[in-house]
Amino acid sequence: MVPENLLYTRDHEWARIDGDTATVGITDHAQEALGDITFIELPKVSQSLAVHGFLGSVESSKAASDIYSPVAGSVTEINKVLTVQPDLINKDCYGAGWLCRVKLTDKDPSKNLLTPAQYQQFLESNP
Amino acid sequence: MSDIQCSSTDTVNKTVLYDRHLALAGKSRLAPFAGYLLPLWYSGIAAEHKAVRTAAGLFDVTHMCVLGVTGPAALPFLDYLTTNSVAALTPGRAQYSYILDDHGHVLDDIIVYCLDPSRYMVVVNAANTQKIKAWSSHILNTRTDLFAPSSVTVLDIRHESPGRVDLALQGPASLFALFRIIPSEYHLRLESLKPFELLHVDSPQLDLIIARTGYTGEKIAFELFIDPSKATWLWDAILDLCRDLKVIPCGLGARDSLRIEAGLPLYGHELDGPDLISPYQAGYPWAVKLNKSEFIGKTAITAHASSFRSQIVRLSFPGEKGIRPIRPGDAVLDNFNTCIGHVTSSAGIQDTQIALALVLRGKIEVDQPIALYYASRNAAQTQLGRLPKPEQGTKLEPDLKGLVLPRFAKF
Repeated sequence: MVPENLLYTRDHEWARIDGDTATVGITDHAQEALGDITFIELPKVSQSLAVHGFLGSVESSKAASDIYSPVAGSVTEINKVLTVQPDLINKDCYGAGWLCRVKLTDKDPSKNLLTPAQYQQFLESNP
Repeated sequence: MSDIQCSSTDTVNKTVLYDRHLALAGKSRLAPFAGYLLPLWYSGIAAEHKAVRTAAGLFDVTHMCVLGVTGPAALPFLDYLTTNSVAALTPGRAQYSYILDDHGHVLDDIIVYCLDPSRYMVVVNAANTQKIKAWSSHILNTRTDLFAPSSVTVLDIRHESPGRVDLALQGPASLFALFRIIPSEYHLRLESLKPFELLHVDSPQLDLIIARTGYTGEKIAFELFIDPSKATWLWDAILDLCRDLKVIPCGLGARDSLRIEAGLPLYGHELDGPDLISPYQAGYPWAVKLNKSEFIGKTAITAHASSFRSQIVRLSFPGEKGIRPIRPGDAVLDNFNTCIGHVTSSAGIQDTQIALALVLRGKIEVDQPIALYYASRNAAQTQLGRLPKPEQGTKLEPDLKGLVLPRFAKF
């Protein structure tokens, strides 16, 4: 599942750009590969993020994985409910399972990211 | 995200049941394990774990090496190669044992199945297959003083025709499941089969060796040794005929969580590995017979038997959602918050985490409280002062409180 209104990374994160803000999460492919997610480490509000910089980590019963930021900016909001209900990422990775919101510093954040078609193609060419 | 990669799978072997895994689990859930592509899970790790404890689960363990050891010197050879007493093993019985090197270090933990005194099956860990094959050949080639040439043959019978591969059927319903597979004249003998005993079903329709062994801690549990060409038939037959018994296929994830919950060691984690963990430390002194006349590694392991300083323990910690999962390498703390060892394996089972850990001997007792310190998971945590490799003797701030469990679980 690759929604049309998002941009993607090859590390399976997504970003939704709204003006100077981006909402960030991990993709359906990522949550499926991780299995039941039991723990999430989120960034702190006002923490600054670099493109492909460390954003947080996610752990399931079988895997631990670092999450890298798809965009550059500073964190304005985190999805606090995930700390007690991390499985929301499994249930709704593009909706209720969002990770954080970022005020963008980059004028053209999309230049580092894959379009839905490109990400879809990336998934298909790397089964 | 790191670690989540779309990886190419063409260099990895497929088991004879690969097509079934593709159909039942899907390609994205297959992972390379000891050189084979095997499913992490089919319906979910928790559901499969529960099925084994309450009904039954079927595991593809055809990747595990089955060595056929035959010939007039098969018994003395195995008695020399392994730590347990093969001479005491009667036909139709099996025993847990170890293969050591000259320094007394564990090369593998194995099960020896006695068909008759000149015919044995030895089941070896998949990851250790090449090493054990090479070690057996080396012993036979260099100790011709003990074993005359061609008095012992060691063959990987997974690749022979006729041959044997292993499927594991584990859990309380597995006896009833097998009643539907084997001819009725064998039912009584199967029902009275004791742990570590074998039954050879040898009828015109079916040639199957059933052993009451396994790796889940279940009381009613079997390993099924069948010709590789019939493995798919057996897999399908069990799943198709036993749906009402709630027998489901189980993957690597449940295999690991079941053996951790039971307290069973995994080679490289609770045996050998970086700490060179011995059978004594793992909790299996009875599988090393120091009174045997001679076996490889005897001198070294005899000295070790009275001098080892740490041992494997089983611990319980909370594991609700939102609690960071315990990982190998996390520190175990005593009541003074001093690091006394580290976690070697862990699994989340419902709202509990069970950890196996190597800790200093005599420092903890069953039912006593225990604490845990999370080792750093990434560079960001390390920068904030969290230790990536906490060392024994260090005072640390506990992150999680738990309880010491008996070494092994009973089900």
